[in-house]
Amino acid sequence: MDFELSSEQQAFRDAAKAFAREEMMPRAREWDEKSIFPVEQLRAAAALGFGGIYVKEDVGGSALSRLDAAIIFEALAQGCTSTAAYISIHNMAAWMIDTFGNDEVRKRFLPKLCTMEHFASYCLTEPGAGSDAASLRTSARREGDHYVLNGEKAFISGGGASDIYVCMVRTGEPGPRGISCIVVEKGTKGLSFGAQEQKLGWKSQPTSAVIFNDCRVPAANLIGAEGQGFRIAMAGLDGGRLNIGACSLGGAQFCLDRTIEYMRERKQFGTRLADFQALQFRVADFATELESARLLLWAAAQKVGDKAPNATRMAAMAKRRATDVGFDVVNGCLQLHGGYGYLRDHPIERVLRDVRVHQILEGTNEIMRVIIAREMLAN
Amino acid sequence: MHIVVCVKQVHDPEVAPALFTINEATNAVVSVAGLAQVISPYDEQAIEAALRMKDKKPDTKITVLTIGAASAREVLKHALSMGADEAILVNISAGVLLDSYATAKFLHEAVNKIGSFDLILAGRQSADLDAGVVGNGLAELLHIPAITFAKRIEVVESKVVVDRVVDNGSEKIETTLPALITVSNEIGAARKPNLRETMRASRKPTQSWTQADLSKEPMEATEELIKLFIPKKEKHCEFLAGTSAAEQASLLVRKLRDARLI
Ligand SMILES: Cc1cc2nc3c(=O)[nH]c(=O)nc-3n(C[C@H](O)[C@H](O)[C@H](O)COP(=O)(O)OP(=O)(O)OC[C@H]3O[C@@H](n4cnc5c(N)ncnc54)[C@H](O)[C@@H]3O)c2cc1C
Repeated sequence: MDFELSSEQQAFRDAAKAFAREEMMPRAREWDEKSIFPVEQLRAAAALGFGGIYVKEDVGGSALSRLDAAIIFEALAQGCTSTAAYISIHNMAAWMIDTFGNDEVRKRFLPKLCTMEHFASYCLTEPGAGSDAASLRTSARREGDHYVLNGEKAFISGGGASDIYVCMVRTGEPGPRGISCIVVEKGTKGLSFGAQEQKLGWKSQPTSAVIFNDCRVPAANLIGAEGQGFRIAMAGLDGGRLNIGACSLGGAQFCLDRTIEYMRERKQFGTRLADFQALQFRVADFATELESARLLLWAAAQKVGDKAPNATRMAAMAKRRATDVGFDVVNGCLQLHGGYGYLRDHPIERVLRDVRVHQILEGTNEIMRVIIAREMLAN
Repeated sequence: MHIVVCVKQVHDPEVAPALFTINEATNAVVSVAGLAQVISPYDEQAIEAALRMKDKKPDTKITVLTIGAASAREVLKHALSMGADEAILVNISAGVLLDSYATAKFLHEAVNKIGSFDLILAGRQSADLDAGVVGNGLAELLHIPAITFAKRIEVVESKVVVDRVVDNGSEKIETTLPALITVSNEIGAARKPNLRETMRASRKPTQSWTQADLSKEPMEATEELIKLFIPKKEKHCEFLAGTSAAEQASLLVRKLRDARLI
């Protein structure tokens, strides 16, 4: 076992870090304050290959591994956690089309997704189906060459701004086996959006309900076969959870680096904060927690990439741990900044608001425990 | 078409001045952690210029060539990640300081070993020593035309047309191939390597040659670096005499004229 990054992985990380530092960091505050979805910078990120990180090359993807992606998302999140998290959702949706879509569908949708000329959303949650996603009720009735969709998706990241909606809909029996995955394009008659949600964080990306009202979608937009939708949705989330975890680690690492700088400068009682042993122990713990969460995340990324039998469980463990550690470290860094940490002048409060939701979405951290325990206690 | 781009590894010119120190006994830059080694920015733009030609004519082959220590492989890898096709390192020991003439002679031997080429590109000068003569020296040794300070390069059949930066504007020059062109920063920003090319870079051919592969006689500097130092900046503050603003202003103008600042 070798814990060193390859020279390519170092290059990916450096490229992502440089992009985060030059293109995202200087603008993140404004994006947050004015709720700006940074289309131009997202396309610049895509020009470097971040729009289809683990999509195959024939349709414009970068064809990297899950581990490469985890390294990249941690680096991007240091520039703007919320924007990096949106890029991760876009990548998840693109990967689902790439992996489960037929060639015609792949060639139709993916080239523009890889360049981010088009943006993608992942639509699973409904007002009545959150953690219990398999109980979703949005219906898709087959009529000739089309499906007719009715129902409502809730909390959709990119809602209203995205061009491509990868939707889990009910085509059959109740429960997971009656669910299918279908792509709905913006502009389709019968597709509309709810008002933008007012959120604690994640303000550089829109969130809204996605509403289907007798929305006729070509049957050719089906991803995989009828009835496979839930499996496809969960496969997407295995990777999505790694990326969301990586975004928490990046946000936290950014705050920790800032905190160390701050502790070297700030003096109280005639002493630099960096010289108080009680505070030294705090940063030692922050670094240790982050490193352990990172190692678990990388191990899980390897498992997901290898399609190992325990991949889903490992991804759940890594997501739970990385997003909890990430939030706690950011919160601890805010504490070490004293009152200044609570002000908008320092980016820490923004990162705190951004990483908080990582403990809730793509499966709450309670549901991560459900997944982990289910396998352990089966029979 | 085959383009050879000559590049050099330098200490990061964007580094914070505090990190940059010189050992005056050895006349060498002290390498400390954080003082990164990068491709000289003008050379990076020379690669960009070559890549733009390749964008237009995809069958163009770009070979990057550097003389340097083993660490210069990083610069070659960067060039390959940007999109160059092949790389050659002429490996010399770290610490060997070549002067412009020795560098040009060395490059000449290397280009001869490469064999055929249509165009050689180089940065207008290196970002560390700023001498700016290697390109022309190499052209002289190869007996080919040289055009300096290019801001736009266009190959038209067997000719190359170059917009060359001059004071207050540019001039258009045409010459026959093969030729050597040095590239100026006005050419525009170099592209950033994307993930896919970075992945491919490690599979692209990279050769490592030593001096013995090139010539029998040793390549040595004929110039001697006598003193390398960081100039001291001094600040003086002077209060202008005079009782009225007008009087002080005319005094200021006179002082600036005396100092040849206006
Ligand atoms: C900003 C934001 C963006 C989002 N983006 C998307 C998106 O792009 N696409 C999408 O499909 N969804 C998205 N979501 C939805 C998100 O995935 C859900 O909010 C999440 O899965 C939880 O569902 P819920 O909100 O209905 O909570 P509920 O499921 O109602 O859960 C309420 C509480 O009960 C706990 N709980 C529920 N069931 C159990 C159980 N069996 N055992 C123990 N505890 C349990 C939960 O952990 C939680 O603490 C987003 C949400 C937010 C806030």
